[in-house]
Amino acid sequence: MATHDHHHEHEHAHPKAPDEAPPGYYEIMEIAVRELLVEKKLIEPDEIRRQIEVLDSRTPALGAKVVARAWVDPAFRARLLDNGRAACEELGISIYDDTQLVVLENTDKVHNLIVCTLCSCYPRAVLGLPPDWYKAKAYRARAVKEPRAVLQEFGTHIPDDVEVRVSDSTAMVRYLVLPQRPAGAEDLTEEQLAALVTRDAMIGVVRVQNPGTDRP
Amino acid sequence: MNHSEDLLKRLPNDIGGQAAGRIEQTDHALSPWEKRCHALADVLDYHKIINTEEKRRGVEALGAEMMNSLTYYERWIAAFSVILFQKQILVPDELARKMAEVEARFAEGLRRGD
Repeated sequence: MATHDHHHEHEHAHPKAPDEAPPGYYEIMEIAVRELLVEKKLIEPDEIRRQIEVLDSRTPALGAKVVARAWVDPAFRARLLDNGRAACEELGISIYDDTQLVVLENTDKVHNLIVCTLCSCYPRAVLGLPPDWYKAKAYRARAVKEPRAVLQEFGTHIPDDVEVRVSDSTAMVRYLVLPQRPAGAEDLTEEQLAALVTRDAMIGVVRVQNPGTDRP
Repeated sequence: MNHSEDLLKRLPNDIGGQAAGRIEQTDHALSPWEKRCHALADVLDYHKIINTEEKRRGVEALGAEMMNSLTYYERWIAAFSVILFQKQILVPDELARKMAEVEARFAEGLRRGD
């Protein structure tokens, strides 16, 4: 990218090391589209780099922080279930796109699973970018039809008396699963609880495990 | 339902509920250009040039054959190009010339070893 914060001996900014292969057709297209949009002043030269910094700053650790807070603070949990976006912003997590965040609470009676059947919509502001399997056909096609079988493939058995609810994300509405706090985690601090919460638990394909009791 | 009715009622992205095989629990770290492409999508959305739903429809409009042949971010940049043509923000010839220029620049860079 031709930004001014890099120093180049030559007139053209060059993102590749000398021994690397030249870019492929679609990478050339990406560079060309971006440069044309900058030339037309429709986007700023530095915006892509700054957005990459935003993307890099978003990981499942943010979602885990939200979940752990909801586990220890019932008032926060209520606000989170009422308005996910506002509650995340309370913790300093900005929802950088124009999307709603609906938080779905797992209970003894309900297990939630999220999917995007049409494409790959995902709560990126709190989880980062989705894993490849979330974007691939098998998960998108089957999650809404046979969620229990899908969960079983992730090693998660949901008893028959627990309802499985599947929520299909859209461009405007994103979902985040609030997993159940694992048994035996009563004495853990909020930070220790957050460390137990995984990306896949917030998608709903697994439960949160407590290594102290669940994996002896 | 016969085959043509099925095609009409289910556009390529509309796969929820279809039969499919095992979920391969794969993931990969994005290459630098894929990450730039993702960032470009966000920036286009911020500027109200192409929003998320237009992007999704643009990918679908590539058709089933192209969707199956291209990787995830290849589909995105191909869709962005087509949408930008449709919105008369870019013209195809202009993009072709810029791509040739970018390609030549990299070839020159490699030749000079920088």
